Amino acid sequence: MPDAEATSGRAARLPSERGEPAEITVDGRPVGCFAGETVATAMLAAGVPAFSHRNGEPRIPLCNMGTCFECGVTVDGVPLTRSCLTTVRDGMRVETSER
Amino acid sequence: MSERYDSIVVGGGLLGAALAWMLAREGARVALLERDQLNQHASGQNAGSLHFQLEYRMVEHGWESARTAAEAMPLHLEAAREWAALGDELGESLGVAQQGGFMLAETAEQVEVLRRKTALEQEWGLDVRLLDGEEARRLAPYLSDSVLAAAFCPLEGKADTRIAGPALARGALRLGAEVRTRTEVVDLVPAGSGWAVHAVERSDAGERMLRLEADTVMLAAGVWTTRLGQLLDVSLPTIPLALMMSVSAPTAPFVPHLVQHAGTKLSLKQTGNGTVLIGGGWPARLPLAADGTPELDRRPTLLQSSLVGNAAAAIGVVPRTASLPIVRSWVGTTTVTPDQLPLVGQVPGRPGVFVATGGSAFTLGPSFARSLIALADGRPPGIDLHPYDPARFERLSHARR
Amino acid sequence: MTAAHDLVVVGAGPAGAAAALAAADAGLDVLVVDEQRAAGGQIFRTTPPEFGGRRKLPTGYPWAGELLDRARSHPGIAWRHGATVFGILPVAVDAAAGADASAGPGSAGFDVLTSDPADPARSGRVRARRVLIASGAYDMPVAIPGWTLPGVMMAGAVQGFLKSQRLRVADRVVLAGSHPLLLIVADQLLAAGARIEEVAIARGLPSPVELLRALPAVPGHVRLLGELAGCVLRLLRAGVRISTGTVPTEVLGDGRVQGVRLARADRGWRQTGPARTVDADALVLGYGFHPSTELARQLGCGLDWDSAQGGWIVRHDAQLETTVAGVHVAGEPSGVAGAEQSRAEGELAGLTIAAALGRPVPERALAGARRRIRSASRFSGVVQRMFAPRREALLELATPATEICRCETVTRGTIDGFLDENPFAGTADAVKLACRSGMGPCQGRYCESAVAGLVAKARGTGVGQAGRFAAHIPVKPVPLQAYVALADDPPAL
Ligand SMILES: Cc1cc2nc3c(=O)[nH]c(=O)nc-3n(C[C@H](O)[C@H](O)[C@H](O)COP(=O)(O)OP(=O)(O)OC[C@H]3O[C@@H](n4cnc5c(N)ncnc54)[C@H](O)[C@@H]3O)c2cc1C
Ligand SMILES: Cc1cc2nc3c(=O)[nH]c(=O)nc-3n(C[C@H](O)[C@H](O)[C@H](O)COP(=O)(O)OP(=O)(O)OC[C@H]3O[C@@H](n4cnc5c(N)ncnc54)[C@H](O)[C@@H]3O)c2cc1C
Ligand code: FES
Repeated sequence: MPDAEATSGRAARLPSERGEPAEITVDGRPVGCFAGETVATAMLAAGVPAFSHRNGEPRIPLCNMGTCFECGVTVDGVPLTRSCLTTVRDGMRVETSER
Repeated sequence: MSERYDSIVVGGGLLGAALAWMLAREGARVALLERDQLNQHASGQNAGSLHFQLEYRMVEHGWESARTAAEAMPLHLEAAREWAALGDELGESLGVAQQGGFMLAETAEQVEVLRRKTALEQEWGLDVRLLDGEEARRLAPYLSDSVLAAAFCPLEGKADTRIAGPALARGALRLGAEVRTRTEVVDLVPAGSGWAVHAVERSDAGERMLRLEADTVMLAAGVWTTRLGQLLDVSLPTIPLALMMSVSAPTAPFVPHLVQHAGTKLSLKQTGNGTVLIGGGWPARLPLAADGTPELDRRPTLLQSSLVGNAAAAIGVVPRTASLPIVRSWVGTTTVTPDQLPLVGQVPGRPGVFVATGGSAFTLGPSFARSLIALADGRPPGIDLHPYDPARFERLSHARR
Repeated sequence: MTAAHDLVVVGAGPAGAAAALAAADAGLDVLVVDEQRAAGGQIFRTTPPEFGGRRKLPTGYPWAGELLDRARSHPGIAWRHGATVFGILPVAVDAAAGADASAGPGSAGFDVLTSDPADPARSGRVRARRVLIASGAYDMPVAIPGWTLPGVMMAGAVQGFLKSQRLRVADRVVLAGSHPLLLIVADQLLAAGARIEEVAIARGLPSPVELLRALPAVPGHVRLLGELAGCVLRLLRAGVRISTGTVPTEVLGDGRVQGVRLARADRGWRQTGPARTVDADALVLGYGFHPSTELARQLGCGLDWDSAQGGWIVRHDAQLETTVAGVHVAGEPSGVAGAEQSRAEGELAGLTIAAALGRPVPERALAGARRRIRSASRFSGVVQRMFAPRREALLELATPATEICRCETVTRGTIDGFLDENPFAGTADAVKLACRSGMGPCQGRYCESAVAGLVAKARGTGVGQAGRFAAHIPVKPVPLQAYVALADDPPAL
C-alpha cells in the first residue's frame, strides 16, 4: 500500500488500497501510477505543472467532472481528451497541449 | 411624427452593415434597422469563405447550370478586389486572408469536371490553374494521397464572419449612422417622393411603433427578402436553404488555404485563431408550417446524414481532421434564387427601393452594396447588373399568366 | 444499430438511477448513459473497482446503497458508462415507418448521439422512445483575478479527487464560498491531512428570522444538519479559521497558486475593507451549483432564469416533461435541490414515462413520489434561500484584467469595452459571437453567467433578459470521427 506522498504544494496520494502499478508517459517522460486512477490523478500526483496552456498560461483540472475541459490532453493521439474522465492504461501516451 | 433619413437599410447582416457604412461614407444620413441583434443570422453563421471558383452545388446539376452560374463571375472578380481593400478603408481588421483556395478531385470523373470548370472560369478572366495530385500536395502537404487533381485559385481565402459585419456597422456608427437593433420593419409605404418605413421597436419595457421616412430604402434582409417583397406587393422569389457548419477547437496552424471539393459538398479552412471550419453546403431540416411553407423564424434541425457526410468528406481529403475535437455544429439559413443568380437592383415598380440577396452573399456582400448605392445615385455600376435584375422574375411570372 | 429502447436516461446520479429503476420496475426497457465510470453521480462517487476495498457512501442518504445496487442488477436496465451523450435529435417523422406524420417532433422518438473516447467502436447512436435528462449540476464558476492559476479548483473537484481517487490536491488550502458543501469539503481535506489555512464564507451568520423560517423544513433532515454541525465543530477544534462575511479578491502566484487575498464584505457580499494575504497552495471555490442544461437547450426545450435554483433551469410540467414532447427532466436541471429531491424527481419521472408508454403504474406509487418531492423541496427551498448567491456582488470581484472566459482568454475589459463600443448589442449571445467568450471547449458553461451579468449591468436589465448562450451539437466536444460513427453503416475511412 503506497504511503501519502509528502511533498510540499503538490497533490498527494492518500494511504489507500490501489490497483496494480502501471506506467504512462507524459510528454515522453514515464509517470508511475496505479490501475483505476484517472490520467488527471496520475499527472497531479506526479506534479505535472500544466496540463495545457491557454495563451501561454498553464492550466490544470478545475472541475474534475467533465464539464470544464481544462484537463484536456492528447491521449494516444486524440486531442482534448478529458484526463479527469480517462482511466490510465499501462503504456498510454499522454501529451500536454500548447497553445 | 416621423424621422427623416436619406436612406434606410433593412437588415443588419453583412450586406446591411456594408450598405450603412458605404452610404454614411458618402455623407448620407442613414438608419440601419435590425429586428434581432446584428450579425446573428446568415452573416454570422456562414463559413466565411471568399470563394470565386464555381461551387459544387453549381456543377452538381450539370453543365448548363454551371454555365449560368458562371455569369456571376464579374461580381466575384469585383468582390475579390473589394475584400482585399476593405479592411484598410474601414480602418479595422475583418480577418481577411487570401492565401488561395483548392477545389479537389478524387476520381477521374471529378478531374474532368475540374478541367472543364477551370477552362470556363479562365474564359471569364479568373486566375485559376489545374494542378495534379503531387503538385497540390507540394503546396498543401495536409492533403491525402486520394487527391488526384486540384484547381487552385490564388485569390481565394476567408474573412472572419464573426467580426466583419459588426466592424462595418461600427464604421457606419463612427460616421454618424444610426443602428437600431430589436427594430422590425413591418410596412413600407410611399410617402411623398420617398418611402415611409413602419417598424416595431422592442425593449424590456415593451413595444413602440416607429415611422421613419427616407428617400431610398435598401432591403438587406437575406432569407426574409421575399417577405419584405410581400409588404411591397412585389414578388422577390427566394429559396431558403438551411445548411450546416462545424468548428473545431483551436489547433496549431496546418491549413493555410481554402479547401473545396468538386465531387462532394465540402469547404474547409483554418481561421486566424486556429479553429478549423468545416462545411460546404450539407443540408439541415427547415421546420415547416402547417401549410408546408418553411418557417424562417425557427431554428432548423441538424440532420445526422449531414453530420456523417460532412465529416467523411473532410476526413477523406484531410485525414488529420479525424481526431480534431469538434466544438460546435450549427445551422444557418441562406437564400438562393430559382435560377441560381443573385437578385441585385431596384425592386420592380418601386422606385427608390433596392434589394440584393442570393448565393454567396457573404463573399459578394461588399460588391452588392457598392452596386446598389451606384444604382440609387443614378451612377453606372462598375459591372453590368442586367443578369441579376430582380425584374426578371416579374417578367417570368407575367409571361406564364 | 440496435433496436430502440423505451427510455434512454442521460446521467446515472440519484435522479437518473431512481428514474431507471422506477421505469424498469414498471416494465420499460431502459438504457442509462453516463460519462463517469460508475453509477452514483457526483454525490455518490466512490473509488474504482481496481482499488478493491469497500464502497463508502456519504452518511445522510440511507437509501443510496440499495438504490444503486438494485438499479445495477435490474435486468431491465442496460448501462453504458464512459460514454458522453453529445446530442439528441428527434427522429424525423418521415424517416420512421408507421409514425404519425401529424404529430410533432419527437413523436417518432429520438436518436441519442454518443461518443466513447476509450472505445470508439462503441460510439454511435441509440434510439429511444423517450429521453430523460438527468445530467446533474456543476460547481458555479466565480471569476476572480487569478482564478486561472493552477491550484484554483472547484469544491466538487476536490471532493471528487478525495472520494474516488484518494488524492489530496494540495497541502495548504484556502476555501472560499457560500455553499454548505464548502464546509464538508474543508472537513474532508482536514481529515486527509491538509492544512486548512482559512475558510472564507461570503455570507454572515444566519439571522434569527432566517433560522425560524428554516425550522419547519428540518424534520427528516436532522441527520444532514447534524453532519454539517459536526464538520464545523471538527474544523474549529482543529483551530481552523472560519471567517464569515469574507470574499476572495485575488489569487496570487507565478505559474501556480501561492496565496489568496481575502477581504471583509458587507451583507450584500460587496468588499468593504482592505484585503489581506493568506499563503496557500490551493484555493477551493464553492458558491453553489449550476444545472447542466446543455442537452435541454440543444433540444430546444424552454428554460427559465431562477437565480436561487442555480440559474437557467429547464421548464417542465407536473409530470416533469419539458416543453419538447417526449423529453423529460429530473434532478438538478429542473432546479438545484440536492440529492434527496433529485432521487424523488427521478422516481416520479420514471413512473410517469412508464405510464405514458402504456405500462400500468399504481396511483399510490405516483402519489408517494410526489409526496417525497414535496417533503424534499421544503428543505431544499430553505437551503436555496439561505445560500442564494449574490451574483451582482460576485461579478464585481472580476477586474478589467480578469479572464471571464477561461477557454478563449477573454477578459472582463474586452467584454465591457465591446458593450461600450457597440450600443446596439444587448444579449449574451451577441457578446459571444463578437468576443468569442463562450466559444471554447467548455461551451460557455464557465462564463455564461458572468457574460450575461455584464450585459445586464451595462444595459440596466436583468440577467434573465440578457439571455443565454444557444447550445449546439456536440454539447461537449468530440472528435470529428465521432460523427462518422453515426452512420448506420459507417463508411471505411
Ligand atoms: C451555413 C452557411 C454557410 C455559408 N457559407 C458561405 C460562404 O462560405 N461564403 C459566402 O460567400 N456565403 C456563404 N453563405 C451565404 C451567406 O452567409 C449569406 O449569403 C450572407 O450572409 C447574407 O447576408 P445578408 O446580410 O444578406 O443576410 P443576413 O445575414 O441573413 O441578414 C439579414 C438580416 O435581416 C434581418 N431582417 C429580416 N427581416 C427584417 C425586418 N422585417 N426588419 C428588420 N430586420 C430584418 C434579419 O434579422 C437578419 O439579421 C453561407 C450561408 C450559410 C447559412
Ligand atoms: C461534489 C459534489 C458533492 C455534493 N454533495 C451533496 C450533498 O452532500 N448533498 C446534496 O444534497 N447534494 C450534494 N451535491 C449536489 C448534487 O449535485 C446532487 O445532490 C445530486 O448528485 C444530484 O443528482 P443528479 O442525479 O441530479 O445529478 P448528478 O449526481 O450530478 O449526476 C449527473 C450525471 O450525469 C452525467 N452526465 C451529465 N451530462 C452527461 C452527458 N452529456 N453524457 C453522459 N453523462 C452525462 C454526469 O457524469 C453525472 O454522473 C453535491 C454535488 C457535487 C458536485
Ligand atoms: S477537470 Fe474539468 S473536464 Fe476534467
